[in-house]
Amino acid sequence: MDLSPFETDNSVSCRLSSQIPDVCRTEDCCLGIDEAGRGPVLGPMVYGICFCPISKKEELKNSKVADSKTLTETERENLFEKLDEAKSYVGWALQILSPNTISTSMLQRTKYNLNALSHDTAIGLVKYALDSGVQLKEVFVDTVGPADKYEDKLSKLFPGIEVTVRPKADSLFPIVSAASICAKVARDRVVKAWNFTEDLGEVDTDYGSGYPNDPKTKAWLLKYLDPVFGYPQFVRFSWSTAQTLMESKGVAVHWDDDEEDGEKAAQRRNNKSMLSYFSASAGVNDRMQTHQTHRFFTDRRLKSLDTL
Amino acid sequence: MSCNTSVTRVQVSSVGQAQRATVHLMPCEIQHDGPAQVSQYMTATTKDHKHEKTVSFRGRGLKGQELSCPQGYTGLVLKEIDKPGSDQEDRTVRLSSVFDKLTYWNLETPPNSDDTVVMAMDWPELADAVSLFLLYFYSCL
Repeated sequence: MDLSPFETDNSVSCRLSSQIPDVCRTEDCCLGIDEAGRGPVLGPMVYGICFCPISKKEELKNSKVADSKTLTETERENLFEKLDEAKSYVGWALQILSPNTISTSMLQRTKYNLNALSHDTAIGLVKYALDSGVQLKEVFVDTVGPADKYEDKLSKLFPGIEVTVRPKADSLFPIVSAASICAKVARDRVVKAWNFTEDLGEVDTDYGSGYPNDPKTKAWLLKYLDPVFGYPQFVRFSWSTAQTLMESKGVAVHWDDDEEDGEKAAQRRNNKSMLSYFSASAGVNDRMQTHQTHRFFTDRRLKSLDTL
Repeated sequence: MSCNTSVTRVQVSSVGQAQRATVHLMPCEIQHDGPAQVSQYMTATTKDHKHEKTVSFRGRGLKGQELSCPQGYTGLVLKEIDKPGSDQEDRTVRLSSVFDKLTYWNLETPPNSDDTVVMAMDWPELADAVSLFLLYFYSCL
């Protein structure tokens, strides 16, 4: 698994894939989808697909791929090796969603929630397999949300493919376990060797599992909080853990699309900031008292100043 | 209404020797007056493609571009060293650095010629034209 395409720019979403086995282009295939790293406040979320001919299902089962969560990191690495050895009939592809992609999507003006992002990523990977000529007949998906609705959505999108969406699918279907192993291995490796783009010098990499309730993760988040910038892009800013810490230990930042109660906002705007000189709402009163400012100036938020 | 008789002095005599500053105009209000690790967090992660720059601030996607000060103008960063206790006292504002370009950032929207700060740069040229016109107008009276 060559992670260098992601490592050269770990601020964006990146697809990695194996060679497509020839047999997958000629025989009917099954495909499994799973994700790794949905919960952590640190690092990327990785979506994985794994596919093989339906006739090879038993062989895959015998290689003892199991739910990646019940395995240790070393066991997962070993199983990934096994999958790699089976590359004549097993293919995989991954979509790495960088923490920066997750933050900027979830905090977008028109919110793009994690479920929608997950679904779109999974759909994108299935399309990739189809576009690569994989003869898909069965798709198995692990889900955390309501399974029925997701199953309907996928069935409609991919007519002619039998879609099965199940919670804990990674422990039920070996092809999903295989996808889960690929995703988890990639996430582990990326998190371990995270390349901080920020100029922070030597960064302490003892950040634990990345889950918000891990004491090591908590300690790391406290240590690396910058009062103005918050965190490096390794952190998911959209997680409440990060937001709460920035609110309590960092300086306040206000955006024009913030949802805050009107009185508070009005009060705040009376504290003149640098930006208020560019804001159209300031100076409405002065204008009424003196003269009507021409639209040329209001459009450009230009105002004559008599005090600093 | 109280009559404010205090004077504000702006000391800009050192413009020639002043340090150049990198200036960013952010699309948000940051309730902070003081130093910030701009080069470590912002400059280090800014991406430049053609005329559009991208960066994230507090997990939000920003798009921006560099904007030059109008010709013949210099941007000044002013600092008030000792803030007076009341509005009756005189104030002194000193030059801390100068700039001839700045980077302005929009929240998610690509920079374009309709951006307020870009349009605001039209004013000096127009102001020149208006005063020339007035001069002409007066000389004809």
